[in-house]
Formats: sequence, structure tokens, C-alpha cells
Amino acid sequence: MWNAVITLFREYMGTGLIVIWFFVSVVYLLVTEKRKHIIILFLYVPIIFLLLFFNPLFARILYAVVGDEIYYRILWLLPITVVIAFAATSLYERLSDREKKWKSVVLAVCLAGLIMVSGSYIYNNPYFKKAENLYHVPQRVVDICDAIEVEGREVMALFPREFLQYVRQYSPVVCMPYGREAVVSKWGASHELYEIMESEQTDAALLAAMAKNARCHYVVLPEYKELNGSLEDYEYVIFGRMHGYVIYRDISEEEWNFR
Amino acid sequence: MIFAGVIMLCIWLLLVPVFVGGVFTGVDKLGKNLLFRWISGQICLWAGFQLICVPLVLLEKDYTLVRQLFLVYTVGMVLISLFIFLKKRRNTSLYVLRSFEQGQKREMITWGIFAALLIFQLIQAVRMTYADGDDAYYVAISTITENANTMYRKLPYTGGATQLDARHGLAPFPIWIAFLSSMSGIPAVSTAHIAVSMMLIAMTYGIFYLLGAKLFPKRREYIPVFLIFTELLVLFGDYSFYTAENFMIARSRQGKAALGNIIIPVLFLLLLILLEKLKDQRKVAWSYWILLAAAMLSGCLCSTLGALLTCMLVGITGLCSAFVYRRFQVLLLMAVCCAPCGFFAALYLVLG
Repeated sequence: MWNAVITLFREYMGTGLIVIWFFVSVVYLLVTEKRKHIIILFLYVPIIFLLLFFNPLFARILYAVVGDEIYYRILWLLPITVVIAFAATSLYERLSDREKKWKSVVLAVCLAGLIMVSGSYIYNNPYFKKAENLYHVPQRVVDICDAIEVEGREVMALFPREFLQYVRQYSPVVCMPYGREAVVSKWGASHELYEIMESEQTDAALLAAMAKNARCHYVVLPEYKELNGSLEDYEYVIFGRMHGYVIYRDISEEEWNFR
Repeated sequence: MIFAGVIMLCIWLLLVPVFVGGVFTGVDKLGKNLLFRWISGQICLWAGFQLICVPLVLLEKDYTLVRQLFLVYTVGMVLISLFIFLKKRRNTSLYVLRSFEQGQKREMITWGIFAALLIFQLIQAVRMTYADGDDAYYVAISTITENANTMYRKLPYTGGATQLDARHGLAPFPIWIAFLSSMSGIPAVSTAHIAVSMMLIAMTYGIFYLLGAKLFPKRREYIPVFLIFTELLVLFGDYSFYTAENFMIARSRQGKAALGNIIIPVLFLLLLILLEKLKDQRKVAWSYWILLAAAMLSGCLCSTLGALLTCMLVGITGLCSAFVYRRFQVLLLMAVCCAPCGFFAALYLVLG
């Protein structure tokens, strides 16, 4: 348990520098801050939280109750941002009171630089990208969902992996035989149809049979997808092509009348 | 159509909370501050939403009923606020920031830098998108609720019908987003990704401003410097995936982001107000305890872990303050504030 908590704390710290500045700020404020109520809330209370976080018994109980994935959120109770900003501003305030005020400006710039070097710029995160529309989902999801929606009813569609996260955010009437749960391996929710869809070479007969079994009205495949055979041999027609994907539509009546 | 929707969102996310926040003007000297009114009003609305929504989710009622009852609640709170305003109108005034009449050039520059960085973050909330897998659950719940009128009875990932997901239903933040979408006519996916993100970012800095006002009560010219440092710490807070700052910018439409960046900082603000009053041996207004309980309940709305985190923060601070200031009666009032969270935590253990 101790090792798990330490590992979690290391992961939370990242490079560790910002958390180090937090501890430095705590020490600085312990020395310089005179107001007791501020010392209690921003210095004593966080220290108690840290002691609790590293307490194996406390960790064991919480792991059992809330699970190991979210135990790190106890660390959100450390007011890291407020304490560092408060300490930095207090330091700036001290220098501002003296005659050569330019020194305080230099200090503020240095402290700002230190924060920037110690942290990591959030918009450099690889998961950030420019939004393609005001829905904040890829435009291909919007266009394909709009194309296959049928007024007054839900439709079932089979999508490649890169769509799964977005389809149901955008359209409540486009259903899928599997969703994100098939992608996250640690959840252990394997889905045979997903494995077939994502395999390098897919057998068209098997895919068609499985898709019909899952009552899919549409199958969306990348244009480059290698198929052994053609879905058009199994009552599917090409409904459209967009954004590098082919949309197949099931033309067998039973799929459209099952409810 | 979009313009009307944006106006409605502004009304529901800005105007209504500011009105409702009038109930809490007696909490502290900061109570008349527009930012304090906005934040406390939103906290009050969230707490009401939690109390209305969770029982109806568990009873498997339709979303329409939640919407209607929450509308009634909101109108009621606005009327109470209006009543308080009329009763105390001689003393009621609003101020946001003091004027720069006596201010210095340097102060104006620092406010300018802060404003520029804030506007940059708000623009980025519209311009940039963060691909987070959890949106497939939370945002889809909002979209389904608004469309199908059901709450937690459809599988968000696939759309199939399912048994009630009571565990997630105990923290119905996505239903609140669905409510905003219903009121504005703007799709839930846009409401979540853009409107709620912008609101959360602005509100977080509003809380930091109020904390700054408490930390630098006599030297208010240092508040913008404090805010600039907080902005830098947020903007460069991506040193790990787990930080609250990462959640604030990247995953702001999820309830857990609101828990880490609004509810917990608001609790720090409220506890700072309490400790200050205990230190000065001043009376704590009844409205303070209501707001504290509302903030804790809002934590439950945001995340099922909210009950635990808010109770830990309030409980440990309460114990420290009771021992330091020898005011043990506050522990009783704090325990009362924690009670609703305890109830939701018990429900989580039973249903989860």
C-alpha cells in the first residue's frame, strides 16, 4: 500500500518542481506570516492532509471505498496554487515597500519565469488541438451522424475506433453496438465485433453477419480498410463517402423494421 | 437562434446566480461584492439542483420534472433575494473593484496583464478542444437526458436501455448541463464544451480574486499580482494529468473539474471567512452556515467523491480552529453542514 501511495504521489508531482515550490512557500509563510487564521488554513490543514494521504491505514480504507483510480484527488485539498501565489506576492510586496521598487518588478518577473520553467504549458498537451466546430467533436463525426440520422427514430451504426468517443456526445439518436468500454482495455469489456472491425484484414461476410446480428443499419469503414470480399454482396449498399470513410447502409427491410 | 441561446446562457450562468447571491450579502464584508454574489448564488443553485435531482433520479422520474421543480426553486430563490434586497435596500450596494482614482499606474498595468491572460484562456476554451475519454460518458449523459427525457437509464456509450446507474446518478452534474441546454436551446455538447468551460474558468478566477481580497485586505493593489501568479500556475499546471489545474483547463465540463477548481477553493474562502470571524470573536451569520452547507452539497453534485473531500476539509479545519480559538460550538454547526454530505456518502455506499 505504501508503495502504491508513493507512486501515486510521484505521478501527481510530475516533474516535482511545482510541488517543491509549494513546500518552500509553506516554509516561507510559516516564517513570515503573522496572521494565525491564515497559518491554520493554508499551512496546518494541508500538512494534516499530507499526513493522512501517506497514512497506509487511511489509504487502505479509501482504496476500498472509492477505488485506487481516484485516491489522488485527496491531493486536490492541498491549495498549491493559492499558497505559491500568496508566497510569491508576499515576497513581491516586501520588496515593493522599499525604495528601489524596480527590484520588486525584477523579482516578480523572475518568479513568473520560475513557475513557467517548473511547470508545463497546458496548451502544449498533445491531447489539445484546434476545435473543428462549436460542438468540439471532429467534423467527420458531425457530418456522418447528420447524414445517417433518420427523423423520428434511432439508428444503429458501426463505427471505427476513432469515432467511438464522440458519436454519442453529438447525437443521441445514433446508437452503437459497442462504445468506449470496448476501447479501454483495463475495463476488460472485450467485444467480438470491435475486434473484427479493428483487425487489419476483415472478412466482409463475417463483418456483415455480425453487423446484422447487432442490428446495425449502417457500417462506417475507412476507405483504406482491406476487406476480404465486399459488403455489397451482403445486402449493404454504399450510402455515401466523406472524410475518407465509406458509409454502408443495410437495405434489408428487416433491419429497418425491427422496431 | 444561436444569439438567443447565448443570451439565455448568460442569463442562467451570470444574471440568475447574481440575483440569488443576494441572499448571502450578510455572510461577510465581501458579501456585497458582485463576484461573491455570483459565486454564492451559483453555489446555492447547485445545492438546490442536487437536492431536487438526486431523489428524482433514484425514483426513476423523467427529466422534465427535474426541470420544472428546479425552475420553481430558482424563482423562489430570486424572490427571497428580492425580499432581502427590499428589506435592506438602504445598506445594499454592489461593487466589483475599487476605482483607480487613488490607484497607481503599476496597479493598472497588473490588472491589464491579468485581464489579458484571462481573456486568452476564455478564447482558448472556445478555440481549442481536449480529447478526453470521460466525455464519452458525461457529455453523452447530458445529450441523452436533454433528448430522451430520461436520467441515467440509457447507456451513454451505446444508447441501449439499462437499469438505473444509481452510482453516477448521485452526482448529476451532467443533468445540470442538460438543464442549461434545455433553457438555451443550444445543444448539450456545445453547452458542455464551451459555455460551462468558460463559466468555470471565469468563476475560478473570481474565487481567487476573493481569496486575494482576504489575503491582502489592506494592500489591495497586490491582488492583481496574486491573480497573475495564479494564472501562471494554472497555465503551467500540466505537470501531471492529475492536477486540478489540468482538469480546470482541459476537462472543465466534467463535474470533478468543478469540484477541484470551484467547490474546494470556495470552501477555502468560506473557511477563511469563518476563521477570521473566530479570531476577531465576531458573530457568524446564519446565512454563512447555509452557504457552507450549500457549498458542500454542491460538491456532491459535482462528484461522488465530493462528499468525502468537502467533509474532510471542513472537518479538519473545524477541529484545528476549535482547538486554536477554543470555540468548540462551531464543531456542532460544522457537523450539521456535513450531515447532507454524509447522507449522500451513505447512499453511495449502499447503492454504489
